[in-house]
Amino acid sequence: MSAQRSLQVRLVARLVAIFAVGAVAATGGAVIHAVLTLDSLADRSLVAQARDVERAVVVGGDGAIAVRLPKDLVAAYAIGGSMFAVFDAAGRAVAAAPAGAGGRFAQAVGAPPALGFFTLSDKGEARPVLAYVADAGHILPGLRIAVAQSALHDDSFYDSVVEEFLEGVAWWIVPVVLAVIAVAVLTIRATVRSLDEVSRAAAAIGPEQPRRRLPTATVPREIAPLVSAVNSALDRLAEAFERQRCFTADAAHGLRTPLAVLAARVESLADHPEGAALAADVARMTRLVDQLLHVARLEAAPLDRHATVDLHAVAVKAASAVAPLAVKKGCALALEEAGGRWTVHGNEAAIGLALLNLLENAIEHSPPGGRVVVRLEGTGVVSVADHGPGIPAAAREAVFQRFWRGGNAGGRGAGLGLAIVAEVMNAHGGRATVAEAEGGGAVFSLVFPEPEPLAEAPAGGATPSLGRRAAAGA
Amino acid sequence: MRILVVEDEPELRELLQKAFAEAGFTVDAVGEWASADADLCTTAFDAVLLDLGLPDGDGLTLLRALRRRGTATPVLVLTARDALEDRVSGLDAGADDYVVKPFYTAEVVARIRALLRRPGQALGLSMVEGNVTFDTAARSVEVDGAPLVLTRRELALLELLMRQAGRVISKAAIEDGLYGFDDEVSANAIEVLVHRLRRRLAGAGASIAIHTLRGIGYMLTEASG
Repeated sequence: MSAQRSLQVRLVARLVAIFAVGAVAATGGAVIHAVLTLDSLADRSLVAQARDVERAVVVGGDGAIAVRLPKDLVAAYAIGGSMFAVFDAAGRAVAAAPAGAGGRFAQAVGAPPALGFFTLSDKGEARPVLAYVADAGHILPGLRIAVAQSALHDDSFYDSVVEEFLEGVAWWIVPVVLAVIAVAVLTIRATVRSLDEVSRAAAAIGPEQPRRRLPTATVPREIAPLVSAVNSALDRLAEAFERQRCFTADAAHGLRTPLAVLAARVESLADHPEGAALAADVARMTRLVDQLLHVARLEAAPLDRHATVDLHAVAVKAASAVAPLAVKKGCALALEEAGGRWTVHGNEAAIGLALLNLLENAIEHSPPGGRVVVRLEGTGVVSVADHGPGIPAAAREAVFQRFWRGGNAGGRGAGLGLAIVAEVMNAHGGRATVAEAEGGGAVFSLVFPEPEPLAEAPAGGATPSLGRRAAAGA
Repeated sequence: MRILVVEDEPELRELLQKAFAEAGFTVDAVGEWASADADLCTTAFDAVLLDLGLPDGDGLTLLRALRRRGTATPVLVLTARDALEDRVSGLDAGADDYVVKPFYTAEVVARIRALLRRPGQALGLSMVEGNVTFDTAARSVEVDGAPLVLTRRELALLELLMRQAGRVISKAAIEDGLYGFDDEVSANAIEVLVHRLRRRLAGAGASIAIHTLRGIGYMLTEASG
């Protein structure tokens, strides 16, 4: 699963981003708020200082202005760090402490000084000096009081505020973020786990179990619609398979029943001179119908290939089925084993059908009295050899194509048998091959992938002390 | 012997009825699921010939119902379906054997006969192949009406082969049928026994042959030519 598509990775990334933005915004906001608060504290302090001075202003009878500060304030101004000056309308500093303060104010904001807050810039001082000029026009027109005091803190104070905020407040952001991410991941994991069951159920659905559906009970409600949609898609597929299956079954019934009537009628003509020829025609028609139905059946639905098939058992069954045909033709039919018994994964009926087709072909093409040998080569290869005319090298590819009849237009086959063999082997992931048999004739081989040795030891060998079982194996 | 033929195709039903009547059976023939069901409930048949594709119901359900009632009557299924479809499910439902359409009525008659002479079915039955008659009650064999004396093992082998005439019996099945578990059987005991039986039959002029299919089994047929 790529990181791009992983729900988990995407959710974690987004949560982290949201928390990062949130944390930066919250921290910044808090710091700015703190700084603003401090600044307004300084401003209020300046305003209070200006009021103190204002209250101390005394206007003499001659209009002379004096400032009579309480003792403690006088002391404060004496220490330094604070200063004030009172300017008259003409811009003269009529009172100031410490002496020379008026000049500084005048230098900074003019005389008379402009109203408002400002900073007296003085590079020489460690802390900035904050100043305020208040209008005292109600005492004397044009009277202005300028006050200044060193800032309570310098710029590094802001840094320590931020630092304090981070230490005191922000530390919990990290664990909270981690906790949220952990919860998100666990939730996703749990959700995905509930989908594991669905995945397993889905993996088990195949042509052999077309009626199985995905469970909807355990999946989250958000995902249930998807599961239901998949289920209804499966319903439609199963229905289509079923229709195909019904069609081939109906076709089989529809074709084979009249053939049965025909065969029975022909049978009653046994003594008639045309009887044998008619019977051969019926047999040929029957074989053609069988093969067409097999082709239709193989195409209608994928084979269920999940059984463990014992190749020896299938070979014996197929050989037994064609034995009467072989005996009738005077062929010697035999089964040989070389290399132990093997099983393959597949569909027993289909493998049996492939083998049956090879055997019927071999018997048909054998000269009377010829030998047809089924050989279990071991390692998942079954071959059928005959001593008929064989297949020319140039035709060995074409022979597995439909309706190939090898120029044998008068023959009994419709050219579907080997195509069915090839189709069955393809469906099993194996292949069918043809080569020249030893001593002439054709040898067809079915090659299966991934054969496994039969778990049970094959009967064979002679250890008489073990009783008759020891000698079994024809 | 009374048999029931259940086949919806009228011509085929008629032909089967005729074939079985000629073979000496009493035949009832029906073409519908419902009448077959009614007949099976009221009459005891010795064997049933059942077509799976009936217009008013599936033959398999009829078969299952029959088996549920505990009826052991041998049933030969006639089917147009084959191995790639549901041949197996038919046998699971309780069929004793099946014949895929189309078929020769002679084969169907032979199969029904084979079902009827299965052990436990009809005792004292005579099996006939070619000019050989095997009396299962008296355990005696006649070739062209003349008695043929065989050993116990030879008799047992001939019986096995005649019960399955025209079909391959594996060597293992013959060993199972002829020898007890504790009997020691040499690797070629069956070959030797078959060889001996062949010689005896040939000596008596029997018109049957025992074919050896190496690695597959043995099969008894009427001798050709």
